[in-house]
Amino acid sequence: MIKIEGLRKKYGEFTAVDRLSFDIFENEIFGLLGPNGAGKTTTISIICGLLTSSEGKITFGSNQGKDPKSLIGYCPQENIFYPRLTCLEQLLFMGQMYGLTSKTVKAKAIEVLTLMGLEDKMNVRANNLSGGMKRRLNICMALIHNPEILILDEPESGLDPQSRILVRDFIKVIGKEKTVILTTHNMDEADRLCDRVAIIDHGKLLLLDTPQNLKKTVGEGDILELVLENCADDVINQFAENVALLSMNIKINAESVWIKHANIIEKLPAIKNLAEKNGLTISEIKLRENTLEDVFIHLTGRNLRQ
Amino acid sequence: MKTLSIISKSLKEQIRSYWVLLLSLSMGPFFIFVYFLIVESSKPLYTVLIANNDIGVVTNGEQINHGNYLIEYFKSFNSETISIPFTVTVVTDNISGIESVKKRKADALIIVDNSFSQDIDKRILNDSTALPKVEFVGDLTNTNYLVSAVWANEILNEYTLQATHNKRTVEVSETGLGTSATMSTFDMIVPGILIVSLIMLMFTASIAFVSEVENKTIMRLKLSKITAFEFLGGISMVQLSVGIVSVLLTLLTAIMLGFQYTGSIFIMIIIASLTSLSIIAFSLIIAAITESANEVLVVGNFPMFLFMFFTGAAFPLKSDTLFSITNYPINLQRLMTPTHAISALNKTLIMNMNLSSIIPEIISIIVLTLLYFLTGGMIFKKRHLKLT
Repeated sequence: MIKIEGLRKKYGEFTAVDRLSFDIFENEIFGLLGPNGAGKTTTISIICGLLTSSEGKITFGSNQGKDPKSLIGYCPQENIFYPRLTCLEQLLFMGQMYGLTSKTVKAKAIEVLTLMGLEDKMNVRANNLSGGMKRRLNICMALIHNPEILILDEPESGLDPQSRILVRDFIKVIGKEKTVILTTHNMDEADRLCDRVAIIDHGKLLLLDTPQNLKKTVGEGDILELVLENCADDVINQFAENVALLSMNIKINAESVWIKHANIIEKLPAIKNLAEKNGLTISEIKLRENTLEDVFIHLTGRNLRQ
Repeated sequence: MKTLSIISKSLKEQIRSYWVLLLSLSMGPFFIFVYFLIVESSKPLYTVLIANNDIGVVTNGEQINHGNYLIEYFKSFNSETISIPFTVTVVTDNISGIESVKKRKADALIIVDNSFSQDIDKRILNDSTALPKVEFVGDLTNTNYLVSAVWANEILNEYTLQATHNKRTVEVSETGLGTSATMSTFDMIVPGILIVSLIMLMFTASIAFVSEVENKTIMRLKLSKITAFEFLGGISMVQLSVGIVSVLLTLLTAIMLGFQYTGSIFIMIIIASLTSLSIIAFSLIIAAITESANEVLVVGNFPMFLFMFFTGAAFPLKSDTLFSITNYPINLQRLMTPTHAISALNKTLIMNMNLSSIIPEIISIIVLTLLYFLTGGMIFKKRHLKLT
């Protein structure tokens, strides 16, 4: 569907996107995962046509020859619409800007508003909507011309839990009939929604695969997280050395340690004993599965929020 | 201490909004400079036409024409003999002289009566019933006419005093062109105010353009299939209708308050429409260099003051001609469309002149509008519509 080859974007000496190359398949939900400033928004802006690339090429597979403006619907991170127009009015306007007839665009506007749970707000001015509703209207604006590719920049950011569920369900549904590209720094969002995820940092592609396969890169098994309370560094280091002797992977973070093993539950009593023996004060014990954040940390040594 | 902190913070913010600060600080000095450029550095020039209809008289077998002597006497008053720049040109007939004054190619027309020499002669022979007749013709709303008429009257009286040795012997009649003779001060100022109502369009039009940038909706338009021409044209059409409604409301209010006009409302609407388009085009330049409505309000003050106070919209102003295009004078003010619009409205509403008489003004407005649109469109496209 979309072939990206050697994409590069430079602003003077700064390289925002550094020779990205990957394919995005038809009707898949493709995630660009990375921390703020990784180059996600720059990449999708180039795909949309809002930015020009310094190098590289983007081709739209079987749709070559078609106007990319008709192919792509873009929902930016920021809510962008006409504050003094009603939901319906701005969808009608935007549809007409894409060359749709009034009749077609009205039917489509009602359809997308219903899809996003805004059908009873169609005659309400955009600036009178709640934050979550504005976000949903923002998505409707991207869908009004019935694009084949939907690009969502941080679709869940700033959403209340109810809207988040609605948007997440919507993306799952729409992903069956359209190609969806979403950027996020929310590992949970990427994990739950995406068929494939590209992890990028400093404009470079680090890994690209399904969430399951990505998580396997940090090894099989679950992660035990021990939240520590006022522990001296030498105590933590001694504990880490002892854990490592039990053939378990351990990672020391600011206020916690993460221990990974294929059968971590069986190892729990032994770990607890070691902690007591080394004088470690544990305030909380968490057991969880691998996440994409672990993958990112494994790849970069930093977490997604750093 | 808290006050000091507020002062420090406020000072930093003010300095960092240097664009707004710079414009606010430079506004006064800038307008002093512009005023100097337009008014102080220019010298007024009063142009008087004389149509000599005097048939002359035969005295002692000699043909005498006091009309011709009067013309020579007028011509002797030049920049070397009197302090005012006063030029006199002879016209062959009254009609061509009146047309020139109507078209503002001259400030006043002096028509010497056919019995002028006979009456002068009688006066010389102490016939107090004889009154040499001279008619002054001009636009009574034009300050240049008033100055020209005063000086011409002084020279005329000086000549007759020398010729007849009698004071104040001439009967001077005055004919105001169009409705200028019957016009009140209020009537005279209305054409300018009509243009002021259009100048105000500068803010609504600039904000209409720039709000797409401020709301970032320009990004959605860039992604859609709309062209720059469609986008700019669409906004301009709405602003054009706002301009026409504004000028009609202003005219209606003026009429309700007693404004008397001659001429065609249709021509006035044509002038108003073209002027609106030119103001909208200029607004595009403002929108191109600004990012928000707040910036428009600061930056827009500059051209608004220029258009209001240096085009004759708020009060009459005169300056040197830089050059002429087919006898149509071009000066600094004429680089601003309201100058031409006011001239055209005066010709239409006061002089009752037809469409063909205001063609130079219409052409000037169209040329300047295209120039504004081209400049504004290019900068707007480069700054707000171009891909980065």
